Amino acid sequence: MPDPEATAEPIVCARNLTRIYPLGAGTVTGVAGLNLDIARGEFVVLKGPSGSGKSTLLALLAALDTPSAGELTVAGRRLSGRPPGDLTRFRREAVGMVFQSFNLLPTLNVIENICLPALLAGRDEREARRRAEELLERLGLSGRARHPADRLSGGEMQRVAIARAVINHPALVLADEPTGNLDSRNGSAVIELLARLNREDRITVLLATHSDLADGVATRRLTLRDGALVSPPCGD
Amino acid sequence: MRRLISFFRLFAAFSLRHAARHGGRTVAVVLGIALGAAVFTSVRLAVHASIASFTRSMDFFAGNADRVVVRPGGLLPEETLALFYTHPAVRDYSVVSTTYVRRQGEGTEPFLLIGIDPLLDRTFRSWRIEGEGTKAIEAWLDLLREPYTILLTAPLARELEVDAGGGLALEHTRRTARFRVVGLLEPSGLALVEGGRVGIVDIATFQELTGLHGGVDRIDLKFRRGVTPSEIEALARELPEDLQLGTPSAARESGTAMIRAYQLNLSVLSFASLFVGMFLVYSLVALNVAARRRELAVLRALGAAPHTLFRLFLAEGALLGGLGWILALPIGSVLVRYLLEAVSRTITTLFVRVRVEELVLSPAELSVSFAVTLGTSLIAAWQPAREAMRVSPREAMDMMTPEERRRKSARSAALLALGCLAACAVLLPLPPAGGVPLGGYLAVLLLFLGFALLSPFLLERLASGLEGRLSRIAGPPAFLAGRAVRQGAVRTAVSVGALITAVALFTALVIMVYSFRRTVETWVRQTVSGDLFVTAKMGQVNRFRFPLPEEIVTELPRLAAGFDLVESRRWPLQRGDFPYEFEAMGMETFFRHGDFLWLEGDPEALRPRIAAGEGVLVSEVFAARTGQRTGDRFQAQIEGSLVDLPILAVVRDYRTDGGIVFYSHRHFRERYHDPRWSGVRFFFREPPADPEGELARLRRAIVAAWGDRLDLIGGRELREAVLRIFDETFAVTTVLLLIALAVAALGIATTLTVLVLERSWQLNTILAVGGSPPQIRAMILWEAAFLVAVGEGAGLACGFLLSGMLIQVINRQSFGWTFLYTVDWASLGLSLPLILAAALAAALPAVRAAFRLPPAALLRQR
Repeated sequence: MPDPEATAEPIVCARNLTRIYPLGAGTVTGVAGLNLDIARGEFVVLKGPSGSGKSTLLALLAALDTPSAGELTVAGRRLSGRPPGDLTRFRREAVGMVFQSFNLLPTLNVIENICLPALLAGRDEREARRRAEELLERLGLSGRARHPADRLSGGEMQRVAIARAVINHPALVLADEPTGNLDSRNGSAVIELLARLNREDRITVLLATHSDLADGVATRRLTLRDGALVSPPCGD
Repeated sequence: MRRLISFFRLFAAFSLRHAARHGGRTVAVVLGIALGAAVFTSVRLAVHASIASFTRSMDFFAGNADRVVVRPGGLLPEETLALFYTHPAVRDYSVVSTTYVRRQGEGTEPFLLIGIDPLLDRTFRSWRIEGEGTKAIEAWLDLLREPYTILLTAPLARELEVDAGGGLALEHTRRTARFRVVGLLEPSGLALVEGGRVGIVDIATFQELTGLHGGVDRIDLKFRRGVTPSEIEALARELPEDLQLGTPSAARESGTAMIRAYQLNLSVLSFASLFVGMFLVYSLVALNVAARRRELAVLRALGAAPHTLFRLFLAEGALLGGLGWILALPIGSVLVRYLLEAVSRTITTLFVRVRVEELVLSPAELSVSFAVTLGTSLIAAWQPAREAMRVSPREAMDMMTPEERRRKSARSAALLALGCLAACAVLLPLPPAGGVPLGGYLAVLLLFLGFALLSPFLLERLASGLEGRLSRIAGPPAFLAGRAVRQGAVRTAVSVGALITAVALFTALVIMVYSFRRTVETWVRQTVSGDLFVTAKMGQVNRFRFPLPEEIVTELPRLAAGFDLVESRRWPLQRGDFPYEFEAMGMETFFRHGDFLWLEGDPEALRPRIAAGEGVLVSEVFAARTGQRTGDRFQAQIEGSLVDLPILAVVRDYRTDGGIVFYSHRHFRERYHDPRWSGVRFFFREPPADPEGELARLRRAIVAAWGDRLDLIGGRELREAVLRIFDETFAVTTVLLLIALAVAALGIATTLTVLVLERSWQLNTILAVGGSPPQIRAMILWEAAFLVAVGEGAGLACGFLLSGMLIQVINRQSFGWTFLYTVDWASLGLSLPLILAAALAAALPAVRAAFRLPPAALLRQR
């Protein structure tokens, strides 16, 4: 069921989106002619077996990969055929990413990890720190600001990763198996956190997962198989 | 056996496949080792070939005599032979004299002329004449009975374009004479002396040509069977006071002793490239251990014993060393051709005349180079292999390497570094062991190790110190690079250590060579002063043993109106194994135009005393080698006189590697005997309006009077030649240095590339959270800048310390000389930024490697 508060203008609009990888003499299809609309403010759960194309779709939406064919518009920006500089700006301003393995930089402490996207985007450092401290407070990690990132527990690391994903006020958060390396208690806490950000900050969330932990908070559930959606792209 | 096969299977699957998968870095390290091994092997082969050529010559020439009789600084009177005719201890005796001659004509190369008694010599030296029995006997008889007949080796005859039966005119100091070639020598025994550039004449012809009537260089003796040492000692006592009984190998031993220090220093310098290569092996094996920690933990969890992991990585080091050595052979075969010529030329210039005709691939030298290369690689792999051994099976479950461990390593490395530097200070002042500055070499090694160990600490300090400032100036890339450098300080330190070593060597040798050159320039300007130098023809090659004819000595001053003349006479002498020269020269006139480079004593007070013949001056090398200092007495037998004089001062002199003793020519004549003149230098009494014209006039007058009986060289020409020889001598050093720097740059390239590939998930995370490709490239370049800044900064500091050690300790202990410490700021200022740029350029492969795979693919792998 779509969120009643979601606006009509889609934040993700994919038409005939295709990604084919060369593999040896042949090819592998990651995403095959996918059509998808996601409205602003939605919390979409993307499911599917391993190799179904979930990560490929997320990489395309995050402009980390380029489609082989089709059209893709995210947060009002057409991503196909854009120069690298535009894609970097898009990643800075429009999306935040959360990974299964947290991907915190071990060389930085907690607050530095969170501030990194803001600094890379050329934002004011003091402003970035203030925002990071706010986020830490909200995430219950204010005492951990100067801890080395590799000294945190898995649940804490993922919360820091979420804070990093939202520091630049993105419209869309893409989360790739964010609970995959966590126990069920920490997994639930992470899902609850993403749901809070979705509710309170009106951030659209697209969460790829195998688990059922997010089923209760999702506004829509999609299933991907062999690179194509098997459930209707709109409505549930 | 089964265990061994299992190990090799595991090695092939675990290590070889990994090496093949990461072919680029494996090839870079193998190339680094290959360059190091090629330099080490070719330098050793080149020096070995020169020494082998010299000792072979000396052995063939020495023959099978039991003892030789010589007269230091002079000729042996032939009457001495009478002592041995009936001596109960002596069975056979023979006379030998040698000199250098050349074919008449411009630009011909001198060759060695050996004068022997063909009858007496048969039992001493082996030499055979080519051809059928009768023809050879005829030639031998002709040599014996006909004056001005000569035997030549076939290659020399070809070079001189003459055949058996033909004639040729040979020039010598005293005269030019026409010889008939009576036969050619078979290529064996005496014919192999000096690479076959040798001719044999009867001793009577020799004396006739050289004017050394009634005198020979030495008498060789063979003793009767069963002669006792006491009988030999008794024979020595029976000889007149000015004669010496020595062993035939003394000249060879003294020659090889002189070359030894040069060989050792060149070997140590050539080892530097291999030492830098050792850092590369350490770097790659350590990076592999770190990057494959989880795989190691899995292997351990599956039952692999710790020593299996240790052997796997040790075998990896051995494989890198072995492949490097194999690749070194073709590289070395090219390099050795250049080095052979350069090394033999330097040995000929500085020590003893050598002529290398062919390069023998000595199995012993090849074995040494293989053992050193393999040993170096094994030592380099030892510590990382031990680290692999300590991986716990539990780590298979861990996510990250704890930060604490890194910090502890950097601190303990810094402590170890201080220990190395302290030990260096203790070892440095130790006296040489058997003429080898062992303490000095060990101190140099510890200095390098100390600075290499200090590099993690320096990297951490630099990165944390500059982090804030650089972040403000250069933004997030510099900040992230600083953090990455701090994190990886211990691991990157190895490549930084390689760069420190190469830069230190570069700096130290630039300073040393410059200091040496500037000192030599000053010495040349002051001591090798003069506007025209005149010696007897071929005086240099014959070591000035043939004085100028009396009529020339009398006439020369008449021709040289307007010039001051400084006459001199040089004698090659020997003290034990140490060869030196005694030079009597016209001190009063010399001090009007030139000076010595005084090392001890007050020049103002000493010049009049030296001119008045109160005592001798000794060179720094003489003082260092003999232990004699100012105030001691110098004693030597020169021709018929026993010279006994006080040493008044020590001066710097760089004429040869041997020492030199100076005394007043006039007072030598007054106190002892007429030393005659072996050369004379002319000084303009007053600076003329047209110096070139005046010199040309003097040259023309001398040539008109005595034709080509004299060798003439202008003062400026001679000084330029001395400096040219100096530069040629150090050309080898420059080549070795550049190779060491290239190997260090390879180290930087390999380390950065491996680090980038290893952290590709981090770089792509940065990209995913908003970093741009230019920011990531800038970050890698900033990382390189940190490594290179520490490498170059610490290398520079290490280099300055090393230069002091080289000049004040290693050179003094190896060669006996020191120089005035002068820093070549211009060369350093020009080359260090170039090294910096080259090392930064070495980061480019790493920058390219960062974007080898699409970010999405790397994130999926993660």
